[in-house]
Amino acid sequence: MTKQFLVFSLLAMAIGAGLLASAQDRQAAKPSASTAAAPSASPAAGRATVHDDAAERIEGEKRFKANCGRCHMAPEKFPPRMMATILRHMRVRATLTDEDTRLILHYMTQ
Amino acid sequence: MPLQRTIVALIFLLTLASSLRAQSEDTDVQRPVPIFSAGMGFITPFQGGQPNLDPLISPIFLIPIGDRWLIESRDTFESDFATPPGSDTFHGVIQKEVDYLQVDYIANPYVTVTVGRYLTPFGIFNERLYPIWIRDLQSDPLILPIATGPSNASTGAMFRGGFAISPKVNLNYAAYYSTLIAVSPVDSDRSAGGRVGIFLPDQRLEVGGSFQHLLQDERSNSFGFHFAWQPPPIPLDIRAEYARSSRGSGYWIESAYRLSQIATAQDYLRNVQLVARMQQFFVGALPSEVLPTANTQEFEFGLNYYFRDNLRAVSSYGRQFSSLGNVNVWTVGITYRIVTPIGHAGAD
Repeated sequence: MTKQFLVFSLLAMAIGAGLLASAQDRQAAKPSASTAAAPSASPAAGRATVHDDAAERIEGEKRFKANCGRCHMAPEKFPPRMMATILRHMRVRATLTDEDTRLILHYMTQ
Repeated sequence: MPLQRTIVALIFLLTLASSLRAQSEDTDVQRPVPIFSAGMGFITPFQGGQPNLDPLISPIFLIPIGDRWLIESRDTFESDFATPPGSDTFHGVIQKEVDYLQVDYIANPYVTVTVGRYLTPFGIFNERLYPIWIRDLQSDPLILPIATGPSNASTGAMFRGGFAISPKVNLNYAAYYSTLIAVSPVDSDRSAGGRVGIFLPDQRLEVGGSFQHLLQDERSNSFGFHFAWQPPPIPLDIRAEYARSSRGSGYWIESAYRLSQIATAQDYLRNVQLVARMQQFFVGALPSEVLPTANTQEFEFGLNYYFRDNLRAVSSYGRQFSSLGNVNVWTVGITYRIVTPIGHAGAD
């Protein structure tokens, strides 16, 4: 009975996860106001973006050292899509904050 | 066996589906890709002069779905080969454990919901420092079994997360409920508990506490405290845990120093790590099958050499003192970790 319950629960979770993920993907595919505005940004805005990018990279490195180095050696940088998965895993495992996760991912994918 | 086959099939199908979907959308380099990883090692401990051979492999699957979901699992296959009295050859059996098989849903910046089998969030060692390629000393802390349940895992649901409560202070938490499962290798206790930690990023200092109420047998309470500090100017890790339950109590404190600031022979010394750990255990009012049966204290010193960030040679010497007899504890071995994508991983 316990086995059946566990298997049923896993299947239900997997199906539910897939359906919800598909719905979220469709939602994400719609261009948002911020992303739609990005290509038409002015040169000044472009410089600000570069500056912000450098600042975010520095902040990301700082947070990487503070958070990831608490438990293990600094790993090599992996391809971006691998880093996205690893950071999602570490967000859960090490209870990283939303902001730490975003900045560390930015740093590790540069 | 049908349960194991079903779980393996489920992981395979989800991996395949997620991988195919990822391949069709490879223009977005930030879209996470399924990953296979494994920590592995071969450790030779000598306890009281008796050599054992301990090979271990711990495969991990990470399967992201959409923007907020993650299915993750870790199993452990290990053996403890020893020479029985009167025999010259090593004998042992392979032990299998499902460490975790969980579905995570990142609900919002403050809450992640986890369902399934997960590592019990009691203290910091079990969740963060346990993997063979992470731990600085290969032997478990004596107090590790306190409040972590069978195989150090629980089965049920958990809320967890971390967020900044000020620009210089982060708070992290985990609260869980676990149900009783008596089927190996996914057995777990019926319990409820949680952990709260405060992390100061600038000082790289974390302190926190854990609590668990057992909802079966003697229905006892357990609690613990943890501490971790990395003084930013020097490559030093200091970690400690204390745990108390009706079946025993104790603490461990460990420091690990990387010789990266020594000016001489930098190419070699920066890869060397020195470790020291002291721990004590005190037996409780109730007996335990997994905790020491007598008051015990142990000192250990380790020397690790990192060939790369994922490959290292490990060694340690320790001395264990208890009323059952004092013994030397040696370990030598090698640990390794691989990470590989299942599908297109994006531009390098």
